[in-house]
Amino acid sequence: MTKSIIISNLSKKFTFPVKSASSGWIKNLFSPEIKEIVAVDNISFSVAKGERIAFIGPNGAGKSTTIKMLTGILFPTSGSVNILGFDPTKDRKKLAYQIGTVFGQRSQLLPNLPLTDSLEFFGVMYDMPSKQIEKRISELTELFDLGSFIDQPVRKLSLGQRMRAEVAASLIHKPKIILLDEPTIGLDVVAKKALRDLLLKINEEEGTTIFLTSHDVGDIESLCNRTIIINHGTVIKDLPTEDLAKTFVFEKYIDLVPTTKFKDFADLPDGMKYSSKNQNFITVVVDIHKTSVKEAIKKLLDMFDVEDIDVYNADLETVIRHIYERDSTRQ
Amino acid sequence: MQYPGRLIADTFALVARCGVLLILYWYVFKLNGGIVNGTPYIIVAWSMFFYFAFSTLRLRDISKSIMQDVQSGNVEVLFNKPVSYLGYRIWWQIGSGLYPFVVATVLGSIALALIVGIPHTMTVGIFLPTVFLVFIGASILSLILYSIVGLLAFWIEEVNPVFWMVDKAVMILGGSYLPVALFPPFMYKLALYSPFGASQFVTHTVYEQWHSEWYLLIGIQIFWILVLLITTLIMFKRAKEKVSVNAG
Repeated sequence: MTKSIIISNLSKKFTFPVKSASSGWIKNLFSPEIKEIVAVDNISFSVAKGERIAFIGPNGAGKSTTIKMLTGILFPTSGSVNILGFDPTKDRKKLAYQIGTVFGQRSQLLPNLPLTDSLEFFGVMYDMPSKQIEKRISELTELFDLGSFIDQPVRKLSLGQRMRAEVAASLIHKPKIILLDEPTIGLDVVAKKALRDLLLKINEEEGTTIFLTSHDVGDIESLCNRTIIINHGTVIKDLPTEDLAKTFVFEKYIDLVPTTKFKDFADLPDGMKYSSKNQNFITVVVDIHKTSVKEAIKKLLDMFDVEDIDVYNADLETVIRHIYERDSTRQ
Repeated sequence: MQYPGRLIADTFALVARCGVLLILYWYVFKLNGGIVNGTPYIIVAWSMFFYFAFSTLRLRDISKSIMQDVQSGNVEVLFNKPVSYLGYRIWWQIGSGLYPFVVATVLGSIALALIVGIPHTMTVGIFLPTVFLVFIGASILSLILYSIVGLLAFWIEEVNPVFWMVDKAVMILGGSYLPVALFPPFMYKLALYSPFGASQFVTHTVYEQWHSEWYLLIGIQIFWILVLLITTLIMFKRAKEKVSVNAG
């Protein structure tokens, strides 16, 4: 399969001066102490053409730094990046014609101009002939349902409309890869779903490779077929998204609803622990290495007067949280 | 055309700022028999008008645009486009200022010609080609000078004090408050040989000396353009390596 992105032993260190309380102001000014932070630490992976990658991790894990090295904004300290045959540090401009970027917390659109002007402006920036720009704008208008607000100044758009417009603008030149840094941040559930559906559509129809960072599990679950988890600058998991949920399959969750109200919360036997507990609801986590679900239910029914019971696997958000926590305790 | 409000505001600002100063100088010159330091009022009026007309191009705002891009982190969005960031900012600044500049300059020139007349120095054959040359030089130099100030945002948290100092130096040595013809000799030399004054040489084009000195002044402009362009390019190269905005 053709590789779109190849990352080999990529590292990025940031250095910055720090004021030392024990030193005088002259030393702090002219010869300050230099602190070094390793944001990305020797990571390697590759992405095939048309893949949909979730690149996730807790805050400060190194996600954005990696994306910025992929696009040529940041220069790696060591290692190499190859995107579509280009080295972003040397061929940033050539690469820009082949990739699209969306930064959820930044806007590339021109706030005071109508959206259509922004799209046309970017088309010109990407050296597209005017006929092609016109055609592509009408394609994107239809695909992203921009028609109702395309003539409005960008500053007057809602956040959901603006994000659709941002993605449309980044696709004006039909990029082969689109890199999205938290594209659904701040969107409501309807707008999030609309954006995810659109990204899936362009992946299917135009074969665009999607590389996405997000804290939203919904983005990962519904959009990405592969998940790479990064923490403390290193890749800690790289697996198909559907396998991610199986990572903590040894944990089962049991919800208990009381007949009237729960009064006592006695200590649970070995292999079980409370995940949450109150008068109206109890959730117990069962470690099936230590006790079977059948055994656990039996013990719980002996302990509590229960009207309803529900057994399920950990949801993806819990799985990801566990992975982060486990990795943090390992550091 | 998207900013009719700005056009009105710019024209109004030009009339208000330049008009008030012209009225004050008209009175001062009248008290002194119409000539100060060997220069008649009509020359001073056009020199000051050129300064204020040039300022409607708002080339100085490139500093603020770069500063905002760096402080907001928006610079990374523009770094992702297939254009040079500095080139983009320069053309953006020219594009957004050109329309108000043309309208304000044409209207202002007609009004001033009707009110104070046209000095003979502006009717000499060399005037139009040299004023065009020096205008281009002044525009390039202003953009470079203010770009340097903006780029400092990559190193300094608060660039506004530097902007304020450079801007005031340009205003004073460019002849906005006091026309350069009325400068004492050492200040005149400073206006002539500093990049701040050189970025406003359009104000010199109406003076008698212009016809014998224009090549010197254009030479000074070219010198500063080259020196500051090299500085800008070095700074920009370093700045690109320094980008670490919001990287997590």
